Amino acid sequence: MNTDHGHRREEDQGAITRLCAQTGVMLLQHGAESALVESVARRLGLALGMDSVEVALMANGITVTTLYGGRDCTTVRRNVDRGINMHVVTEVQRTMLLAEEKKLDLAGVARCLDEISPLRYPRWLVSVMVGLSCAAFARLGLLARGGEADLGTFALTFVASGVAMQVRQWLAHLHFNPLVNFAAAAFVATSIAAQGVIHHWVDSPKIAMSACVLLFVPGFPLINTVSDMVKGYINMGISRGVMAVLLLLACCGGIVLAMTAWNAWTWL
Amino acid sequence: MERVDMAMNTLLILLQDFGLAAVPAVGFAMIFNVPRPALKYCAVAGAIGHALRFSLYKIGPLPIEWATLIAACVVSMIGIHWAQKWRAHPKVFTVAAMIPMIPGVYAFTALLALVEIERTGFTPELLKTATDNGLKAMFIVAALAVGLALPGLLFYRRRPVV
Repeated sequence: MNTDHGHRREEDQGAITRLCAQTGVMLLQHGAESALVESVARRLGLALGMDSVEVALMANGITVTTLYGGRDCTTVRRNVDRGINMHVVTEVQRTMLLAEEKKLDLAGVARCLDEISPLRYPRWLVSVMVGLSCAAFARLGLLARGGEADLGTFALTFVASGVAMQVRQWLAHLHFNPLVNFAAAAFVATSIAAQGVIHHWVDSPKIAMSACVLLFVPGFPLINTVSDMVKGYINMGISRGVMAVLLLLACCGGIVLAMTAWNAWTWL
Repeated sequence: MERVDMAMNTLLILLQDFGLAAVPAVGFAMIFNVPRPALKYCAVAGAIGHALRFSLYKIGPLPIEWATLIAACVVSMIGIHWAQKWRAHPKVFTVAAMIPMIPGVYAFTALLALVEIERTGFTPELLKTATDNGLKAMFIVAALAVGLALPGLLFYRRRPVV
């Protein structure tokens, strides 16, 4: 028998339910896979003394029900995508682990969750690193084909993808729809790469054209899609997968528009 | 002598592959806002994964999908080891490490071929490009995600990793 039953008041159960919903939404907003969202929300509720915690996930919301001493408490939260942020996911999970080790009580968990402020790397640094990443992709592509190193291709890829990443971050900062954002940024990337093709600056224009848009491949959603479906969250997997394909199609639209505008059809 | 030369050449390519794959792993880890202390794990895991896949399917006999599955599985096991030390979910490191292996060019080529069919009309060659590349992309992504999930599915069946 749990002797705690006497102490826990009704308000406490409400507060714990809201905390479970908050952790779930925070994880869902920042790109955690469904199995992790459900297990962290459940383990937090159990650690804070609930008898059972049930979590149902939807593409744009989360429902949490806690059961305690025969009493139910249910709450629903809306989920708005905030972009992938592994720092938030890590901090939320550590808060849950501390609660499980009884190092944090109800008030402590609430304070810890409120204190999490999402880490963001400086925008210029991300753009430079992403530019380098796409240049590395260009080299890897040449390496797999047994091609020779070509400095011009890397430089063009670096500039095109770096500028595109800067545009993408700027548009995201202005709260544009991700689909609009990706299409516009893909247009910029392909337009810059197309200049190298038109003016014959590079030896392998095809590599530059394809490598400079690789920053738009939604790798995280694609992997989450499959892992959600493998772990039984079919509907979450489908909605993530549809979003990932839509993002790819939006980029494709931007690429085609740029290739039409500059009449540079080197890709196919 | 020629064989030694060839082995050295292969090793050199493998080393290049190892070094180059670390760059996108870190770059994309920064897009995913992986905490700074974990970035080095992403770099090492990304390099190991891509170089392992390269050696399995370019030097070794495996098709790319199976090589991807094995590489992802190995990275996932390394990720679980680090995750338990670092008190974070393994996906924090491992998804960024998968990025160099994501079949981005295949996916875009397939979609662009579809657009091209719409634009210039149907030809069997374009449809072949679309299906070949699209299927390749789907199978490689599935291999990546299943490979990442495998250690959890095999060894951590009813208990959480962290």
